[in-house]
Amino acid sequence: MKATYYSIAAALLLLSACKPTIQGEAPTKGNADFSNYVAIGNSLTAGYADGTLYRSGQLNSYPNMLAQQFKLVGGGNFKQPLLPGNFGWPGAKRVLGSTLSCDGTTGLGPVLYNGPADTAGSSTNISAQGPFNNLGVPGIRCIDYTLAGYGAIAQVLGGVGYAARMYPNPLTDKPVDIAARSNATFFTLWLGNNDVLGYATGGGEGNGKGGGQPADISPLITFEASYRTVVDTMTAHGAKGVLINIPDVTSIPFFTTIPAMGLVLARQGQADSLTAAYAMAGLNIKFNVGANPFIIQDTSAPGGMRPIKNGEYILLTTPQDSIKCRGWGSKKPIPKRYVLDATEVSNVQTATANFNNVIATVAKEKGLPVVNANAYLKTLQSGIKFNGLTFTPAFVTGGAFSLDGVHLTPRGYALMANEIIRVINSYYGATIPSVDITKYNGVLFP
Amino acid sequence: MKRICILSLAGMALSATTFGGSFQLNLQGMRQVAMGGSGVAMPWDASTIFYNPGGLSRLSGMQAYGSVYLVSPTIRYVPDNEGGNYYETKKHTSTPFALYVGGPLKKDSRWGVGLGVYTPFGSSAKWGNEWTGRYITESISLQSVFIQPTVSYRIHDIVSVGAGFIYSTGTVEIHKAIPLQNSNGDDGQAELSGKANGVGFNVGVQIKASDNFNIGMSYRSAVKMKVKDGDATFTVPQSVASNFPNTSFSTQLPLPSILTIGAAYQATQALTIQADLVVAGWKKYDSLKFDFENNTVALQDTRDPRLYKNTVALRLGAHYQISKEVSAMIGGAFDPTPSDAKYLSPDAVDADRVSLSCGIVITPLEKLNIMAALNYTTTAGHKASYTPANFNGTYQIKSLSPAIGVSYSF
Repeated sequence: MKATYYSIAAALLLLSACKPTIQGEAPTKGNADFSNYVAIGNSLTAGYADGTLYRSGQLNSYPNMLAQQFKLVGGGNFKQPLLPGNFGWPGAKRVLGSTLSCDGTTGLGPVLYNGPADTAGSSTNISAQGPFNNLGVPGIRCIDYTLAGYGAIAQVLGGVGYAARMYPNPLTDKPVDIAARSNATFFTLWLGNNDVLGYATGGGEGNGKGGGQPADISPLITFEASYRTVVDTMTAHGAKGVLINIPDVTSIPFFTTIPAMGLVLARQGQADSLTAAYAMAGLNIKFNVGANPFIIQDTSAPGGMRPIKNGEYILLTTPQDSIKCRGWGSKKPIPKRYVLDATEVSNVQTATANFNNVIATVAKEKGLPVVNANAYLKTLQSGIKFNGLTFTPAFVTGGAFSLDGVHLTPRGYALMANEIIRVINSYYGATIPSVDITKYNGVLFP
Repeated sequence: MKRICILSLAGMALSATTFGGSFQLNLQGMRQVAMGGSGVAMPWDASTIFYNPGGLSRLSGMQAYGSVYLVSPTIRYVPDNEGGNYYETKKHTSTPFALYVGGPLKKDSRWGVGLGVYTPFGSSAKWGNEWTGRYITESISLQSVFIQPTVSYRIHDIVSVGAGFIYSTGTVEIHKAIPLQNSNGDDGQAELSGKANGVGFNVGVQIKASDNFNIGMSYRSAVKMKVKDGDATFTVPQSVASNFPNTSFSTQLPLPSILTIGAAYQATQALTIQADLVVAGWKKYDSLKFDFENNTVALQDTRDPRLYKNTVALRLGAHYQISKEVSAMIGGAFDPTPSDAKYLSPDAVDADRVSLSCGIVITPLEKLNIMAALNYTTTAGHKASYTPANFNGTYQIKSLSPAIGVSYSF
């Protein structure tokens, strides 16, 4: 009998010896408390993608990814103001589909999703389900955070009810008060993008010196005051967190997809007739066979137009058919609302640098780490690799940016989540596991 | 924004995968396996066709010999910075085998002849299509069979020599995911499969220095396994299918040369101890290239760095004749990995290996041997990266391989 036991034990020992035994590093929380994690931010925080907000985008938001990792080190439940469906709200999401150009050619490009609309109930106020942990509101600027009644104002003026559906009293609530009520023990704060983005995506037609309207760049003084208020509020009861700074919006596909030298002329005759036509109008603009700079509207240039220069951008929203078949950029200039010219680019970059200085200063004063999203997303230029995937800023093929050219794919958000975790681990002495990016989707192809 | 269709697939190019690594299988003779894989010095039986062709003319007579091994290694991968998360290869048993027939032409002849059919290289790792490294490898299977006609000549009582010609034939099958997801989020798939073959030789010298001291040396040449007309099959979303035409491909994999020097010492009537030093010429395996017949902007020829280095392995064993009918063996080996820790792909996981083995041979009839052996191979945690894919983590390999065999002397 004993011998049987011994031989069974020996057999088990042998079998177990066949199994690998190595283990990863155990997750630890360091000196932060993740029991109530709250995410403050805008569309990037809400999980906005493909030009709209939809449920699976919210589930793949970087704060939700972070929260799942925080759960491994004592993080609590993470409640998001989820939409009921995946159609997109208020507008349909973009998906890749077959496109037909004015010249009869078909191709593959973003088209509006035409599946069943599952948006019923999207505008219902769901604040009773709160308090929510993801307080990201698409469209919100830093300077809106101290605005009483922001929810209602955004709904009426901007036509978007993202805040109105999650704030208890949209007519009176200040976003910062909602943040205060969340009683966060740990927070991420990614604000400021919309304080420059609205101006940039509008082609720089607003007030570049700090006007205060959605199409303007936010005034620096207001930005700083609002940013300080938000950070003071979040840290008032000793919560720890990370601040995430503002990426350079001119490096995103929304601005870089249509090349400045995008006017390609195949024949000498085309070049000559364009040159002659401009000469007749008294303009000395020469065209050559091959790639030429597009002609853009510039009210300060002779004749109100000139070739686009290096470092100026044509927006992704520019109607392609007008370029292809109506002579935009060749026979007539591309309207300035579709162009970010050198002065406008400089306005955007100056504002971004100023806002990021504020973020860095506040972080230092408050003893908070900064996730340098500005620097990190620039590394996309040379390609970020992960487990055989390569991410670049290229539209559609780069894998990181969604089909609106501004917001990220789930995999792009996962890259951000890992960068945030890296900073948290290093600053708070934690060992929070990073996210497996391959578990999330990139751009989907039909 | 609607009509933007600037779709360049450059940068999504399929990056290649290897069909092997340190995929040497040291499983060609039962007694030798049981003695840590050593066996160049002593012509134990017909398996000396593999271990040292020089020993063949020294056998007491013609022998037929067959053995089969059950190999089912488990590889664990622990990604860097992912907490307790880990992945393991799926259970898969391969059955390397060895068949020999050979010996002196007739009793006391100086000439020996023989034929060996054996599987010195092979690799199989199935990670599945859901794991985090699927864009590098999902599964890989490399099989090779060496066919080796051999002659041996006993120059005098001390020295005998032998040589064999090797024809190698094999198959390769590789699966990996392509990072082009369809509307359900399913990845694209690549399958590369083909037949490979190559030629080489195996030569050896066996020296019976004294009644109880034997020395041996063998050299198995490198074999270039060439795949000339493999099939590459791609499954990708329909809208990008024209970028991934099914096509043929060619590639080659260098199987390394193996130089073995060893000695066997008969300490007592019953006890023999032996040791081998094995130099493997892996340095030739610098990179792995795939040449696709039909290239597109997305499907370019590939070249993956491997940067292998030569290795020296040590194998030790002891053979104890318990009685006329029963003998037992024990042994161990240390096999350093030829791979570079910066270029270790999960389709060719390797690390410094330690193996322990034992075996028993029963001789129920005078001419009949029934053999059994057990080999246990393990590695410590091996931290490595596959730099071209930024794939980082720690690997561990464990395997327990039982084997059985039979030989019959004429």
